[in-house]
Parts: sequence; structure tokens; C-alpha cells
Amino acid sequence: MANMEKLNATLNAVKSLRSSVRQCFEQLADGTAAEQTEDNRTKFLVEFQENYSHINQQLREVETLINGLQPSLVSSYLGNTTYLAQEITQDRQAMYSQLVNSYKWIDKVHEHSLLAFNNLNLNNLRRSYTYCSQKRGRVQYTSCNNPDPEFIDNLFYNDISHTNTIYEVCRQFSSNAVVFATISHVLKAAIICKGVLIEWVTVKGYDEPMEIDDLWTESRYEVFRKVQEHTHSAMLHFFSPTQPELAVKSFMTWLNSYSKLFLEPCKRCGKYVSNGLPPTWRDLRTLEPFHEECKNC
Amino acid sequence: MGVTVLQPYQIPEGKTGAQAIDFLTKRLLALGAVHTGQFLVDCETYISAPQHGPSKAVHVLHDSEYPVTTFSILDTGTGKQIPLVADNLFDLLMLKMTSVYTSKKQTKIESKGARFEYGDFLIKLGSVTMMENFKGILIEIEYRPCVVLFYCWEMIREVLQSFLGVTVAKEYPGYFTSQPVVNAMGQQQLHAKQHDIYEPIDTINQYLEHFTNYRKQNIMPQVSSQSSNMSMNTGMRVS
Repeated sequence: MANMEKLNATLNAVKSLRSSVRQCFEQLADGTAAEQTEDNRTKFLVEFQENYSHINQQLREVETLINGLQPSLVSSYLGNTTYLAQEITQDRQAMYSQLVNSYKWIDKVHEHSLLAFNNLNLNNLRRSYTYCSQKRGRVQYTSCNNPDPEFIDNLFYNDISHTNTIYEVCRQFSSNAVVFATISHVLKAAIICKGVLIEWVTVKGYDEPMEIDDLWTESRYEVFRKVQEHTHSAMLHFFSPTQPELAVKSFMTWLNSYSKLFLEPCKRCGKYVSNGLPPTWRDLRTLEPFHEECKNC
Repeated sequence: MGVTVLQPYQIPEGKTGAQAIDFLTKRLLALGAVHTGQFLVDCETYISAPQHGPSKAVHVLHDSEYPVTTFSILDTGTGKQIPLVADNLFDLLMLKMTSVYTSKKQTKIESKGARFEYGDFLIKLGSVTMMENFKGILIEIEYRPCVVLFYCWEMIREVLQSFLGVTVAKEYPGYFTSQPVVNAMGQQQLHAKQHDIYEPIDTINQYLEHFTNYRKQNIMPQVSSQSSNMSMNTGMRVS
């Protein structure tokens, strides 16, 4: 609390310094009175000197106040890393403040890259007025790396829902979520998130075990190894750092189309099986099924 | 473990069983399937002694796909079947019960042959023999990633047609369409199994169903007369 009062006093001092400087400049701009008498000139000079010494005094005051301020450590809350500030060993104590600084830098980089992204996205060839103000961009901007844990929960339990799919959010690794999706009686997928961004997807068969301790082993079935490859390319396709929420939603809609993995024939060749595999690819927009070798012809 | 369908193969006119198996093997290899060893499914039936009330039968089956398991199905004679899945020790237990259940040796029936893998499909070409007498060809096809027949029946059908060269009916196999189950009220009713999650005992039930059909055939209906007395010694054993 004492710190807050000091901060308040300093801000007030800065405010009064600014107003005196402004006054001083106003006076200088007004100049002397109309008649150029010696009296007027000395009066002007005296006034200016008074103002000037006043400014000097206030400046010194501000400096002393600033020196009295202590940099606060708890200004930014970075999840569990705050515990680093309570580290006992000497050489590690400085880590948290460094962490906060680099976090702020990254945040700034994010913001700037977003603005750059918006600017670069403006189609120069389009003549009509494109509505893409900075303000609008800022509103949409959410930090994708450090969101509220409840945000992901809410996203998977309320916003995203598909009739045949069961979602389960697991938070074993600090604040980053792992979402288990069981799609119909067809497949199980583990979606490993970092913030709201999808980092990795593992796909396995319905009868295979899928546990939090074992997220990286591949499926024993060829078809699900192939589907996993395709989910990775879709994950990259839907990736959008500016609208991470929308990216996750569209990815999940796409993934959910695998509920008919074995049921639908290929749109191109009309067959179910090719090289021992069902149509493992789903079109990114139309969600139509294709064999891997049929999708490009 | 996935959905398995058994399909009896009609041996073409003028061909022996061995020739038919050869023909199917060539087709499978041409399709891109890989030969991965042998398999064996056998079934022995024990009948209860007459002094223990109405006659009951215990069918004991082994499947090389489940090497440490003995499957047994108790047929009460009233249309009710009770399955039991146990360790291999169950065989020794049956030997101890000879006073109650006696084996009908002459009905020991088995299906054995080559095992192929095609993608995630598992295809087995089995020659069915009872007491060394060739009875017919039974093809087992399993699609391992899928656990519900309803999802993958069309895929299985397509693969079957591609190497059998015959049209397979669009309807689900008989075992899946009408299974008598006892409901909560104790009444029997027919239950369509194609939407259920498949379990290993379903494969065993299908084998028993087909083996029972083969046992009922006293003569060989599909094969022409000169090969009807062909035994396993004439080269039927595919090894």
C-alpha cells in the first residue's frame, strides 16, 4: 500500500511538473507586453526566472520521488512461475524478473507482429476501402500462449460439441491442456495444446489404450497412423495465431468428420478400400472422403 | 482385435480343395497381401452322461490367434448357450470330468491353413477337416482397426469380392442379424448385432455355427464325386 501512495505522489509531481513547463512555454510564447519598455522587459525576465527555478525545483522533487520507488515484482502474474520468485538460492533469484521482462517483450513482439500481419494482409490491388483498423485488430487479439485455463475448458465443454464425440480435458502438465476426444466407436485422439494453439495430435484406434502417460506412441494400425499424418497437415492448415479459437473450432469440426472413416467410399474412385486402407483423407473445406492417392488427381 | 466375418467358399466345379486354396492364395498375393504364417482353430464337443438329466453339450474351441485361451460354449439343449473364456488349464479340467462329460472324438473338427495380412486386414484361408476328412473351405477375414460391423461391412465385402471373384450379398452375415438374447424380463428375443462392439467370443460363436453346419453334412455337396473321398493326405494340408 505504501508503494501505491508513493506511486500516486510521484504521478502527481510529474503532473504538476508538466503543467509548470507548459505555463512557462505559454509565457514565453506570449512574449513581453506591446510597449517595449525596460520595465516590461525586466518584469518578463523575472517572471521567467521564477518559473524556471520553480520547474527546477519540481524536477528535483520528481527525481527524489522516483528514486524512492521500488520496482514491484508482483506486477505481472505468470502462472506457476511466480514460485521462482520465492527461490532461496542466490543465483536464481533474479530469474523471475528476467522472465517477466522477456514475457513483456514477447507480448510486445506479438502485438507488433499482429499489426504487421494486418497491414500486410491488406490487399493493395483492391480499390475499395478495406475496413481493417488497428483498433479492430487489437480487440481480437488474445494472448495465445498464456490464456485462462477456464477458457479451454469452456471451449471444449460448451462451445465445441459434436453429437458423436466425447471430450475430456486433462491438465497434467501445469496449465497446458491435453484434450481427449473419442469419436463415435471409431477412434480416439489426444489433442495436446499449448495455450489455445494445437501442438500435437495423436490418433489411435477405439480398442487401443490412450493414456496421459503415453501420448507419443503411434497406433498399431496402419489406418490410424495415416489419419494421424493427415491430422498434422490439417492442424497446420487451420493454424491461425490471430484467431486461435476459430482455428481450434474448425480443426475439431474437420476431425469429427472421421466418425464415418470406415463408412464412406472415396469421392473420386467410388471404392472403399485402396492399398488395404479406407479413404483416410478428408477435404479441408467440404469434409469429403478421399484415398490418399486419389486426393490430388 | 477387430470385426471378423466367416465366409464359406463354394469350391468351383471340377476343382479339388487344394487347387481352390492355391488359386485363392495366388489372388491374395497378387492383391498385395503378405503371407504371415499359419493358423488353426479346432473344436471338440463333450456330451453329458445320460444319468445327469437331459443331454447337454460343451463345445471346447481353441484359436491360434488367442494362444493361451480356451473358449467353451455350454449348450443346454434348450437353445440357450453359455460361453466361458478361460485359461488353457481348462483343457485339463475337462479331462478330469470324463465321468460327466465324454468327448465325441469322431466329431473333432478343425480349420487350418495360411494367414495373410493386407493393410490392416487379416485374411485366413482355412480348410475344414473332420477326422481327417476334408469338409470345405472357410475363409476368415478380420478388419482389426474397427470394432463395429456396421461401420466396416462394406469394406470387408469389397475386399472379399476382390479376391474371391464372386459377389457377396449386401446383407450382414447371418450371425449378426439375428442373435437370440435374453432380455431383462427373462424373455428371448432377436437382437441385431451389427451395431454392437465386437468381442473375441463372437468369432468363436461364428466358428461353432459353421462347424455345426459342416458336421451335419454327411457327404460333400460342393465338390464333384471323384474328389469327395479326398482326405488330408492328398495334399490338402497347406503348410
